Amino acid sequence: MAGSDEVNHNESKSVVPLNTWILISNFKLAYNLLRRPDGTFERELAEFLERKAPANSFPVDGVFSFDIVDKTTGLLNRVYQPAPENEAQWGIIELEKPLSTTEIVPVILFFHGGSFTHSSANSAIYDYFCRRLVGNCKAVVVSVNYRRSPEHRYPCAYDDGWAALKWVKSRSWLQSGKDSKVHVYLAGDSSGGNITHHVAVRAAESGIEVLGNILLHPMFGGQERTESEKRLDGKYFVTIQDRDWYWRAFLPEGEDRDHPACNPFGPRGKSLEGLNFPKSLVVVAGFDLVQDWQLAYVEGLKKAGQDVNLLFLEQATIGFYFLPNNDHFYCLMEEIKNFVNPNC
Amino acid sequence: MGPYDSAVSTGSTTSSPSSAAKPSEIDGLLAGAGYKVRSTELHQVAQRLERLETVMVNAPSEISQLASDVLHCNPSDIASWVDSMLVEFNPPVSIPSDLSDFSDLTYIDSVVSPAINQTVCNNSWVEHHTPQQQQQELTHQLTVVTAMEEDSGIRLVHMMMTCAESVQRGDLPLAGSLIEEMQALLTRVNTGCGIGKVARYFIDALSRRVFTPQALCPTGWSNENEILYHHFYEACPYLKFAHFTANQAILEAFDGHDCVHVVDFNLMHGLQWPALIQALALRPGGPPLLRLTGIGPPSPDGRDSLREIGLRLAELARSVNVRFAFRGVAASRLEDVKPWMLQVSPKEAVAINSIMQLHRLLGSGPTRVSAIETVLGWIRSLNPKIVTVVEQEANHNQSEFLDRFTEALYYYSTMFDSLEACSLQPEKAVAEIYIQREICNVLCCEGSARVERHEPLAKWRNRLGAAGFRPLNLGSNAFKQASMLLTLFSAEGYCVEEHEGCLTLGWHSRPLIAASAWQPIQDPVINHNNLL
Repeated sequence: MAGSDEVNHNESKSVVPLNTWILISNFKLAYNLLRRPDGTFERELAEFLERKAPANSFPVDGVFSFDIVDKTTGLLNRVYQPAPENEAQWGIIELEKPLSTTEIVPVILFFHGGSFTHSSANSAIYDYFCRRLVGNCKAVVVSVNYRRSPEHRYPCAYDDGWAALKWVKSRSWLQSGKDSKVHVYLAGDSSGGNITHHVAVRAAESGIEVLGNILLHPMFGGQERTESEKRLDGKYFVTIQDRDWYWRAFLPEGEDRDHPACNPFGPRGKSLEGLNFPKSLVVVAGFDLVQDWQLAYVEGLKKAGQDVNLLFLEQATIGFYFLPNNDHFYCLMEEIKNFVNPNC
Repeated sequence: MGPYDSAVSTGSTTSSPSSAAKPSEIDGLLAGAGYKVRSTELHQVAQRLERLETVMVNAPSEISQLASDVLHCNPSDIASWVDSMLVEFNPPVSIPSDLSDFSDLTYIDSVVSPAINQTVCNNSWVEHHTPQQQQQELTHQLTVVTAMEEDSGIRLVHMMMTCAESVQRGDLPLAGSLIEEMQALLTRVNTGCGIGKVARYFIDALSRRVFTPQALCPTGWSNENEILYHHFYEACPYLKFAHFTANQAILEAFDGHDCVHVVDFNLMHGLQWPALIQALALRPGGPPLLRLTGIGPPSPDGRDSLREIGLRLAELARSVNVRFAFRGVAASRLEDVKPWMLQVSPKEAVAINSIMQLHRLLGSGPTRVSAIETVLGWIRSLNPKIVTVVEQEANHNQSEFLDRFTEALYYYSTMFDSLEACSLQPEKAVAEIYIQREICNVLCCEGSARVERHEPLAKWRNRLGAAGFRPLNLGSNAFKQASMLLTLFSAEGYCVEEHEGCLTLGWHSRPLIAASAWQPIQDPVINHNNLL
């Protein structure tokens, strides 16, 4: 519990590599500075401290990227693609022809994490991750720069996710396969996982096809304090207190954590029974204090008769996928690759 | 560390405990995430983080102070960032012994100024870029592609590239016929905005190069340029950003000095200086004596325009009780200025301010000694407290025409895109003429006539480092100033970013202008002589 004279770092230090521990601890402490007790946020300092990566139209390690603005919303999307086999085409961005007329190329619409408040599509850690996804899955990744709280509360992030989905679906240059359509998967970590769920619901209700959802330790919660929250509070980089702050910053003023955005299968949630909802891959880290909510989400999907796969990584902490220096990272990549493989 | 040390990562190599790690090797995985930590220092950095957390947990009420009062610098260097906060709790700072392997650097203690509750960061961390990293930074950077929905727009771009490529090959007849085709296509495209507008300017530039190469490019300084510049200043935030950022750094460098002297390499209408004069007037402890030396072209019509600007600034200074003296230095080219003309006194703290001037020194014909080296040399000899450098963040000095053309197309497309948001007229229209002049110089001129030789920050870092300067970090205060400036512009899309102590302003994540600050490295030999 916070307030003791000495903070015990040994637990988290013993389960992650040292450079990962430094990376996540650095975020943790920086974020502590940025969250003001009155619920406002030090946005300028946050942008100053955030490490960003530029896009590169010339391939590096087999991946190139470029930023493109959706003129109707002003939203920036960063697109990552595998490098063309023909080197003469390197550096040229194709915005007309489809990805393939014969093969299916999955397009992963990715929502970065940051508890709805931090990070951007061009954050270095997320740029790094998206590049790896491209190489691993032979997919195209589109990372969305959605609006963040507390400046933009619910439902802005969901609206931006929905707009991005429609945008992706309507790009001729993201189409593939003999059926000439955009084969889209939704994916996200932390708040991005939460956005994935809500955008998928809206897509299903509107008849827009999403082939699958990937939720990487998604951010859910509720008024109740679950066993995992109490047991793991403050032990592995995350505290109940900071989770509460981020929900207060995202949810409409005066709302509590049983709001359906936060607790989709809670007392105010709705059942997805009968809905043509995409198949889901939900990844839960064993040292994440939010896991009881994530496991409840998986149960909620099952009860509604939906197709869901749980990947429970017992010894993983949050952010295990930021650096490719642990087994969980490679396990995750393998699962995602199989999940988006068109031949499965 | 395990079997993943050889994981593919962009950046420098990782070191595993089993191999002999050189002390300067950076952890490659953290580098990919944007952080610089030496592999041999991971444990020390972890300890510092633990210490900071303990301190934060024990003094929660001071956390907000850390956010608002501490001057944050260079967040990529986790160790020094954590130290800058630990200093708030545990003064004084001890010099880290692990910097001793950089024997060619001098480390200066963080100075805590009691009057202003800030720390000035002087982080003499010289970047050791691997060739790989340099290559990445120089390769075609992001380009924000405005969705080119129209077929014609895309065709125009393809044709322009083909035309540029034929110009490079010397196939002027083909280039000429392509230009005619494109001009015909332009009539069917909306050239008032978007890709059509950009194409219009670029096709015009290609046309000049191919059909009228002997026509004089508008080059050098002229009074007309000042008017164009002023409109560009009003229409978009790039120049304001340059001024705000440079002024903030100069203000911090002048702290504690009573006699200060600013040398402005391109005075224009002196737009940068009222804000600095006012900031100095409000300085706790009172303003210093301020001298301003403004360099600019000689006035063609016999007026002394430099002096006129100086008089106006003097009046402003008088109205806020700042002792002020102005001197104008008229020169057609920066390389014609000699240091004695600036009349720098050894007792004053000097700031050299260069807003988009240094790149003009990069064109050297066979008869010219490197102008940039000469100028950087005499800047150094003046021993300034700070040299503020703002440059276009672009690679427009490549020798191959096609490379220059491609880079310019992306750069100026982004700039025109950002200008769309401006509704001020005639500022916007005149700003476009300003930009058009630049484009023409980049594409149509060669040799000494081509003065717009923009180079990216990475190259300037190398150049200034090699010339004996070390970087001073632009910290979070400058960043906040710049961010606040942007809130005055209603267009969402401008963004300020911090890169290793420098600040850039860009449009939708493409940096277009970069600001940095420098100081001459003290030559130990000279210091020794001074002691005698």
